[in-house]
Amino acid sequence: MTNSFAVALAVARKDLRAEWRTRELVPALAQFVILALVIANFGFQIDARNAPSIAPGILWLALVFAGLVAFGRAFAAEREQASLEALLMTPASPVAIFAGKALAATLLLVGCEAVLLPALTLFFGTPLSVQVVAAVLVATIGMASLGCLFAAMVARVRARELLLPLLTLPLWIPFIVAGGQAVQVAMGASGSYDQAMALLVDFDILFVVLTSLAARFVLDE
Amino acid sequence: MSIIVANGLTQWFGPEVALEFVDLAIDSGEHVAVLGENGAGKTTLLRILATAARPTSGRLQIMGLDALKERRRLRQRIGYVAHNPGLYPALSAAENLEFFCTLQGVSRTCAAETLDAVGLGSVANRPAGLLSRGMQQRLAIGRAILHNPKLLVLDEPDASLGSDAADLLATVMAERTVVFATHDHALANRLCQRTLILRHGRSVGTATRLHVVR
Repeated sequence: MTNSFAVALAVARKDLRAEWRTRELVPALAQFVILALVIANFGFQIDARNAPSIAPGILWLALVFAGLVAFGRAFAAEREQASLEALLMTPASPVAIFAGKALAATLLLVGCEAVLLPALTLFFGTPLSVQVVAAVLVATIGMASLGCLFAAMVARVRARELLLPLLTLPLWIPFIVAGGQAVQVAMGASGSYDQAMALLVDFDILFVVLTSLAARFVLDE
Repeated sequence: MSIIVANGLTQWFGPEVALEFVDLAIDSGEHVAVLGENGAGKTTLLRILATAARPTSGRLQIMGLDALKERRRLRQRIGYVAHNPGLYPALSAAENLEFFCTLQGVSRTCAAETLDAVGLGSVANRPAGLLSRGMQQRLAIGRAILHNPKLLVLDEPDASLGSDAADLLATVMAERTVVFATHDHALANRLCQRTLILRHGRSVGTATRLHVVR
């Protein structure tokens, strides 16, 4: 039997190596989030007073749409290359394969966040603190597990570009609510940062466990 | 001893029947060619035998195991070459095989040996996307034999291969049970002891080498 941990790492390494060589996704995502911030900068009248309440909303909007693209590509590339079947024809656990794909997509989105967060500070003057980075990273884990599960589910469907946001966005709402609150507090608004983070961690645990259980059926059937 | 025993394999795709009540028994070490026109059900049958698809109805035993329930265990013993090579174009030929070595749970050194076996040792570091179609097919065949499977299921493996296709296939098929689909009757006659002929999803008979030549 294959080692599930080694399989997950091999799948993630393979995806990251392919992205490094083709540079298809990360430059496009980085460009997208910068453009989103430019548009928001012109669309909203943001000053030092209202920035902590508006900037988190812009951050999560940019992140949600960048995430949809990143997670959608995770399985779309396998489908285009017709390599998903070869992957699943091995004795490797479908859960390990899913974990590897989700890990790679998460790291690609983190790369995009590394551009988004400093750019947010640059455009809107909001503080870039450890608390903001931690809230975004913790939310990314749960969002990635859900996004990759639905991306795997719709990979073989014709209307996948339409279905992926329809399935994913409603289930991302808890992360946007709790993550939005954590970032708002970290940027100076009133409220409990710890409570919002605890909620994010709870959602992470819940959705990582649920998607791991569902991944086997989604990928294998 | 039969390594594959199939009874009444049937596959529906919506209102269309792709395979209808196919019975099959293949002995250990036997090489069986599946012949038929386009749309006859060859790929559907091979995908079911490789455990890549579940039949709508019917029973299938491979190596004494229920192929519908023990798919992961069987996949350790089956090598499958699909119609499309399904390679990672950004990875080199060697990296493609090394990746599958990890997934198959075999040593990564198998990758270099397999590349030599399929005649790709000299292009091991070339990205798979830059290989010719024939070389990609060789790489897909290499991937199917990485884990030294007892059963090989090959869907038109001769497509795009050069003039030495028969020699390469004879080498990889040696000492294994093989089911392979092809349109090339001469190749089927040379490499296989028996043929199964499909028409409109139904088995219309089996033939020995002499029958196929005739």
